[in-house]
Amino acid sequence: MIRLSLLQFRVHAITALAAMAAFAILLAATGPHLASLYAASGISGCQPASCEHLASNFLQQLYAAGTYWVLYLLGVMLILVTPAVIGLFWGAPLIARELETGTSALAWTQSVTRTRWLTVKLTVGGLAAMAVTEGLSLMQAWWAAPIGRAVGHGGGGNYLAMGQFSSLVFATHGIAPLGYAAFGFVLGVTAGALIRRAVPAMAVTLAIFAVIQIATPLWIRPNLFPALRTVVAVTSLGSISLQQGGLDGSDFTLGAEALPGQPGAWLLSSGAVNAAGQPVRTTPAACTTPSVRNGPGFFPCLARHGIREAISYQPASRYWPFQWAETALYLALAVALAGCCFVRLNRRRT
Amino acid sequence: MSAAIQASGLGKRYRRTWALRDCTLAVPEGRVVGLVGPNGAGKTTLLRLAAGMLAPTCGTITVLGERPAAGPAQLARVGFVAQDTPVYARMTVSEHLRLGGWLNPGWDNGLAQQRIAKLGLDPKQRAGSLSGGQRAQLALTLALAKRPALLILDEPVASLDPLARREFLRGLMEAVAEHGLSVVLSSHLVADLERVCDYLVVLVASRVRVAGEVSALLASHHRLSGPRRDPGTRHPAGQEVITESHTDKQSNLLVRTNEPILDPAWTVKPVSLEDLVLAYMSRTGDDTPTRQQQLGVVS
Repeated sequence: MIRLSLLQFRVHAITALAAMAAFAILLAATGPHLASLYAASGISGCQPASCEHLASNFLQQLYAAGTYWVLYLLGVMLILVTPAVIGLFWGAPLIARELETGTSALAWTQSVTRTRWLTVKLTVGGLAAMAVTEGLSLMQAWWAAPIGRAVGHGGGGNYLAMGQFSSLVFATHGIAPLGYAAFGFVLGVTAGALIRRAVPAMAVTLAIFAVIQIATPLWIRPNLFPALRTVVAVTSLGSISLQQGGLDGSDFTLGAEALPGQPGAWLLSSGAVNAAGQPVRTTPAACTTPSVRNGPGFFPCLARHGIREAISYQPASRYWPFQWAETALYLALAVALAGCCFVRLNRRRT
Repeated sequence: MSAAIQASGLGKRYRRTWALRDCTLAVPEGRVVGLVGPNGAGKTTLLRLAAGMLAPTCGTITVLGERPAAGPAQLARVGFVAQDTPVYARMTVSEHLRLGGWLNPGWDNGLAQQRIAKLGLDPKQRAGSLSGGQRAQLALTLALAKRPALLILDEPVASLDPLARREFLRGLMEAVAEHGLSVVLSSHLVADLERVCDYLVVLVASRVRVAGEVSALLASHHRLSGPRRDPGTRHPAGQEVITESHTDKQSNLLVRTNEPILDPAWTVKPVSLEDLVLAYMSRTGDDTPTRQQQLGVVS
């Protein structure tokens, strides 16, 4: 059964290897130059005071060069869509096509039970899906390593400045792509087994996968571990967004963009609180005079009136626990869906 | 005689419609059994249930004494050629034979190679580009080289031209003669079955209308024609009227009896298998639902 499965997987394998080879060539052609730019930027061995500046300059240089940020986003997008594409073109037809063409009557009346047939098919397809996606991810990680280091040094200012917890970076690096690949593939197989027609199954696979991929960073990932909370002085925040509104500037909102002393942390929410720890939106009367409000004295003024910034966040040290938890979640979903396929194939023969 | 296929109260429902309902039959082993009936009689459903492709909604079915597709050993003993003889369009002929070898412990590679050579199929040709007849032959080769004890074929020749049809059935008969396997073959064309079957089951609306050895069926059925008799006239005991038709002057009957026809008013002629099957297929009134309706009126 394994040999048959490999024989039938040939075309898929060739397509995947061709895509990976094309991606590898693209990265290999541009990666060394990217690395040399990084070496020339002076970030490695920088003095703590100048690191952030050098890193930002480096990212700005890449951004201005055009090619690199296009390649960067292209690579990230490729890794993001690969599990969906695999689910569509490998997963959905796996059972549905057999039923549509009637070859199920050939496949399932040889001296091999359906359970074994499906076990081998899911194993071969699932492992290949994981290998392809993780392979792309590792290639991209090698290529983008200088960008990651620059961001780690606090570089910012453009598209390239995405931290390890940002949706695009988190989902395309580490071990998370393994979980997405297995899930995407088995989702396609399950849709095909339930809908029994390949093309509608592909549409459903794409829709469900897209919804889950959007829901995960928004609602699921932030809650995998309880967020930490901290309250810091408004004057200690290096990077902050301030919005003032209302009549004569009586309202304000403060959004922290980085947590002091916690590089790489994932900020979930932030807002100003008063001395009692309650959220405030009203500017203290003493700080509303135009000269204070529009000048450098605004934050010290807020601080003098007991206003501080409350931040809920996930520390950088939780990166790998998050990766493991999310991968485990997706693998568990894949296993549950595979169980549905076995039940469907064996109990409800139609 | 043990049963190749034994069904009792067997039913298969798709949502609200029953494809097969309350079917009870026994198909003997060691025969070439023809399963014949009109479209929609439940032939395909019955055979797919027997091959383990479907699970029954109710009732039981055993094939060679076991539940269909109960395990690898049971699967190995049953060969199945589905309607339209599906094969993998993208795989070559020789890849199909490799598939058969990989998936069947009892695979007879010599038999498979020999058949392919005899048929003149190019091993490198993709199955998708084979003609309908060649595809059917490939599917039959796969099923035969598995060396099953029972071969189930669902309308294997329905879509073939007369020549391909004859070739297919000839190949089937050669294999039966050589390996002595049991065969159950469905068709709605009696002429196909007449050529190969020695046992016949007529299935109409899930019910077995008649079943028996072809020679015995032919010997016990007669066509009578003579002067008109009013419908409902009593016939001698032991004579069962299957169909009757009457004109102003003449009556034509098809009767089943194991005794000689003594009434000199009748001209007695033998029946063809086709006439016999058509007579049973057109006969009405012995369906269980009808009986139940009558009972309902009485109570």
